[in-house]
Amino acid sequence: MNAVRDLVGVAWAGLKARKIRTLLIMLGPVIGVAAMVSAVGLTESAKGALQAQLAQLGTNLIIAQAGGTFGSQNPTFPSNAVQRAENVSTVTSAAATTNLSGVISLPIQGASTYYQAFPVPVRAADDNLPSVLEVPLLDGRWLNTSDSQLHLRSVVLGSGIARQYGYLPGEVRTILLNGTNFGVVGVLGPVALDPDLDNAAFVTEWAAKHLLGTNGLPNQLYIRAVPGTTQGTANSIATAISLGGPDQVSTKIPSDVLQAAAQANKTLQEVALLAGLLALTVGGIGIANVMSISVIQRSAEIGIRRAVGHSRAKIGGQFLLESLFVGVLGGVIGAVLGVGVVYAVSAFAGWVVVIAYGDIPIWMGLALFVSVAAGLYPSIKAARLEPLETLRLG
Amino acid sequence: MSATSSDTLPYGAPRIRDHPLLELEEVSRIYGEEVEVYALRDVSLQIFPGDFMSIVGPSGSGKSTMLGLLGVLDLPTAGTIRIAGQDVSTLDDPTRSRLRGNSIGFVFQQFHLIPHLTALGNVETALLYRDLRSRDRRERAYLALERFGLADRADHRPVQMSGGEQQRVALARAIVTDPLVILADEPTGALDSVNAANVLDIFRSLESPERAVVMVTHDQTVAGTARRKVSMRDGRIVSDERQSDAMQ
Repeated sequence: MNAVRDLVGVAWAGLKARKIRTLLIMLGPVIGVAAMVSAVGLTESAKGALQAQLAQLGTNLIIAQAGGTFGSQNPTFPSNAVQRAENVSTVTSAAATTNLSGVISLPIQGASTYYQAFPVPVRAADDNLPSVLEVPLLDGRWLNTSDSQLHLRSVVLGSGIARQYGYLPGEVRTILLNGTNFGVVGVLGPVALDPDLDNAAFVTEWAAKHLLGTNGLPNQLYIRAVPGTTQGTANSIATAISLGGPDQVSTKIPSDVLQAAAQANKTLQEVALLAGLLALTVGGIGIANVMSISVIQRSAEIGIRRAVGHSRAKIGGQFLLESLFVGVLGGVIGAVLGVGVVYAVSAFAGWVVVIAYGDIPIWMGLALFVSVAAGLYPSIKAARLEPLETLRLG
Repeated sequence: MSATSSDTLPYGAPRIRDHPLLELEEVSRIYGEEVEVYALRDVSLQIFPGDFMSIVGPSGSGKSTMLGLLGVLDLPTAGTIRIAGQDVSTLDDPTRSRLRGNSIGFVFQQFHLIPHLTALGNVETALLYRDLRSRDRRERAYLALERFGLADRADHRPVQMSGGEQQRVALARAIVTDPLVILADEPTGALDSVNAANVLDIFRSLESPERAVVMVTHDQTVAGTARRKVSMRDGRIVSDERQSDAMQ
């Protein structure tokens, strides 16, 4: 153990004795690692805001839509569509909504002309819709079983509609649905994965059936799948709901669009990575070059060390360790520099910083590998040097 | 080395007065492959504890080759070299290096200090890889410097010191390991007469019944200091004599 400590001390002193030279050969690994860290960091950070949103929303939401049944105007799912969907083992939760066409929603009595021209979609929705969407309520509460059981005329507004109706948080307010007064109990938060919901008003299935005169059959399902199985689940859903019957089901994964938008520019990233790799390689050649010359310059030192009893292996180890330190230090400085560049540019450009910290050790390892590989030949040369030839005796 | 040192030498050889510390037996060293040049031819020499000797001869007489072989920096083409009874040709490099480090202290004409290290660092170099705690190593190195009056120079680099001081640092480096043999190559060759005399005084003070001091030189004054004088010519020893009037 002490021998290792001694070796480290000797190598460190050797590097410290030639600070400028050490700094110069360190530039290779520094630039290489910094280039790679910032290349990936900058291309990712440019899409950082979208990625952050995506990470928050999750990529496992599936929307299933009822297709036409014998040319029906308003295609619907069977009434037990949610149970059928939940039969798919990778489905973690599901909620149904029903588009209630022909229901006119009015904020006040007198606005009928406008709202008949631009109707607000009204939907019947399951109790668990917000939890499936993972969207909190902006205000109040969501529809619940008491609303159905007590036959309450409750309505929840989408965030867009709430704004349009000028609804104030906590306000006691009624709106008219097909002429019936409904009390606003809450406002759903913005649904980034399905903005259609922001412009809808939600009522219970009971109200849809009994107060608004619809059949209450769902036509849209919101489904959460086990992360990583989204695509497969989406494929199974159609069969699970139609059970081979005539119902047609189309599914979409709303995060796909967002994901595509959040994708970093891979080509740019690869080019920059390649440039970093090139810098590292050239830097490695620089290290090999300088270390080789250094071995010649320091041949007297090598001879002295051999004379005082340092073995060939120790001499080789000393030079190899110097290269290794250059690689380690260069890698660390490069990583810090790269991260700094990403933060600086992101702050300037207003990006959300995304840095793949897990990848940084790989690049630092690469810098280390290149440096040690570069130091190998000079080290062997140093170890093989004949002390007699370097000491100029007699 | 004090009289209380251990009774055995490194590698278990018994420390007996009459056994040579260093022994060359019919040693030849040939350079070149196509044209063979004999730098040494069938040389036999024994160096005993207490020897204070000089090896003299003109350039090309084989002195340097002899020094390299005695210091185990080189191996003979033919013949046997033993340090404390150990045949050095049979040892692998780490063992041979350790044997060299433990048994031999070198002093060179050009001092050969490592330029980027301080005086203390240079002396410490000889104590590396010996499983010493760094504090002990530093202390031993410091004591060696102190012995030659260089305590206040411990933090100086070679370029900040005079030739005489540098050679004393080199001497401190040579003795800090308490070697069996001190091998000096023209130790006063690069010094003015005052410093040369000073260094020679130190060499005299290093004489001990346990240790051998060997100076390779072409300077008759230096050679005259020694009790034993080995003369070389054309790769052979031509005389090996005791000098009763040495030292004065």
